[in-house]
Amino acid sequence: MNLFFQQIINGLTLGSIYGLVALGLTLVYGILHIPNFAHGALYMVGAFMSYFFMVDLGVHYWLAMAGSAAVVAILGVLCERLVFHPLRHSPPIHDKIAAIGILLFLEALVQMFWGSDFRRMSSPFTGIMNFDGLIIPEQRLLIIAGAFTLVFALQMFLRKTMTGATIIAMAQSREGAFLVGIDANRVAMMTFAISGALAAIAATLYAPINLVYPAMGHLVIMKAFVIIILGGMGSIPGAIAGGMIIGFAEAFGGFYISTAYKDIIAFGLLVLILSVRPQGLFAKGAH
Amino acid sequence: MLQLNNVDICYGSFKALNDISMVVDTGELVVLLGANGAGKSSLFNAISGLHRPSAGVIEFEGRRLNGVKASTIVSSGVVQCAEGRKLFPQMTVLQNLMMGAFVHRRDRAGNRKRLNEVLELFPILDDKAGEPAGSLSGGQQQMVAIGRAMMSRPRLLMLDEPSLGLAPLVVRQMFETIKQINSLGTTVLLAEQNAFAALKIAHRAYVMENGRLVMEGDQATMLGNEQVRKAYIGA
Repeated sequence: MNLFFQQIINGLTLGSIYGLVALGLTLVYGILHIPNFAHGALYMVGAFMSYFFMVDLGVHYWLAMAGSAAVVAILGVLCERLVFHPLRHSPPIHDKIAAIGILLFLEALVQMFWGSDFRRMSSPFTGIMNFDGLIIPEQRLLIIAGAFTLVFALQMFLRKTMTGATIIAMAQSREGAFLVGIDANRVAMMTFAISGALAAIAATLYAPINLVYPAMGHLVIMKAFVIIILGGMGSIPGAIAGGMIIGFAEAFGGFYISTAYKDIIAFGLLVLILSVRPQGLFAKGAH
Repeated sequence: MLQLNNVDICYGSFKALNDISMVVDTGELVVLLGANGAGKSSLFNAISGLHRPSAGVIEFEGRRLNGVKASTIVSSGVVQCAEGRKLFPQMTVLQNLMMGAFVHRRDRAGNRKRLNEVLELFPILDDKAGEPAGSLSGGQQQMVAIGRAMMSRPRLLMLDEPSLGLAPLVVRQMFETIKQINSLGTTVLLAEQNAFAALKIAHRAYVMENGRLVMEGDQATMLGNEQVRKAYIGA
C-alpha cells in the first residue's frame, strides 16, 4: 500500500511542476494566441539563473529562486517587446518561427556561459520525512506545497484584482478589452512576466531532484503543450488538471508498467483523450 | 466636439475610408447610415484608435486623436460600443459593467453612482447581475454592451449597429434608450442600417457608401429625401 501512496506523491510532484510550466504557457496562449515554444528555454534559463545565484554568488535557495524569477520575468517581457510585439500584425507562422528562434538563441547563450555539462543544484531541503513507512523527501513536499500556493495566489490575483481582471478580459475578448480602455501592451508584458516567473520557480523547485543542463526544457515543454491541449488551450483549470493527469499517469505508468515507457504515456494519453474530447477537457478559454 | 478632416484608411491596397470629413457637435445625436461594408465600422475604429488613419486628421474637443493609444482615447471620453457587442462572455453581467469603468477604476464612489444610473437605464440587468453575460439573450447582451460603454462615462458614445439581430420590439426599446441617453447629456454617433428608426431619433445624419460620405442633412431633410427613402427606408 505504501508503494501506492509513494506513487501518489511522485505523481503530485511531477504534476505540480508540469502544471506550473503549463500554466505560464496557457496564460500566454490564452491572451496573445502565441504558442510560445521558447517557454521551455525560459524554464531552463530559470534553473541556470538559480544555479548561478546559489553556486557562483552563494545566495540562499529562496533568494536565488526570487532572483531567478525576476530575471526570467524580465527576459519574458523582453521576448514580448523585442520579438512578439513587432510581429503582432504578421501571419501566425511568424510567431511560431520566432519562438523557435528564441529557444535556440537562449540555449546557445546558456551553453556559451556554462557549457553543455550536466550540473547538480543542491537545496537546503535535503531531509526525508517518514510517515509510518511512507517516505517523502522534503524537496518533493516543497514542490507540491509551492505549486499549490502559487496556483492559489495566481487565482486570487486574477479573480480579486483589477489588474488580474484585465488579463481575464483580454483572454475572453481582445476587442472588448480594447473598447473598455485596457492597454493591450501592458497586459501582454505582464502576462509574459508572470509566465516567465512561473517557469523559473518551477525549474528552481525541480532542479534539486533533477539535473541542470541546456536541453532540460525540451521534454518539459513538449509535455506542457500536451497538457494545455488536453486541458483546453487557454484554460487555467485545464492546465492544472492536465498537469496532474500527466504527472499521475507518468508516476503510475512508470511504476506499474515500466519506467522506459513513462515519457510515452503523456503522448498516448493525448491521443486517447483527444479522440474522445477533441476540444480538450476544459476548452472554454482562460477563466 | 468631434471633427474629421479628409480621413483615409487603407487595408493593404484596399481603401476602406476615402476622404471622410464630418463634424459631431456637443449634445447631438448623429446617425451614420450605410449598407454592410460601407465603412461605418472602419470609421468608428479609426476614431477609437483601433485603426490608424493613413491620411487626414481626427480631433476630439480640439485634441488630435491620430496616433493616440486606444486606452487614452477611452479615458478622454470617446467610447465605442462595437458591432457584435464584444462582451466578456464568461464574466458576470456585473463584472462586465465594472470592466467598463476600467479607466476610472480609482474612483470607486463615482463608479457605484454610475452603476446605479446604468441599472436605472436597464433595470433588467439588475436581476441578471450574477449571470454570465454570454448566457443572456441577444437584446440583454446589447443592453450589457451599452451599459458597459456607459460605465466608461463617455462624452461621445459611438454605437455600431446596436439593433443588429434583435426582435422588432427590442429594437424599439433600444432606440428609445439611445434617445434617453442622448437627452441625459451624452453626445451619440450611431451607425445603423435600420434607417427609419434611427432617423426618427436623430438630429442629423450622414450617408456612407463605399467608404465615402455621399450625403448629409438634418432629420427632416433626410427623412424627406427621395434617394434616402428609396435606398434605406424602402418607401
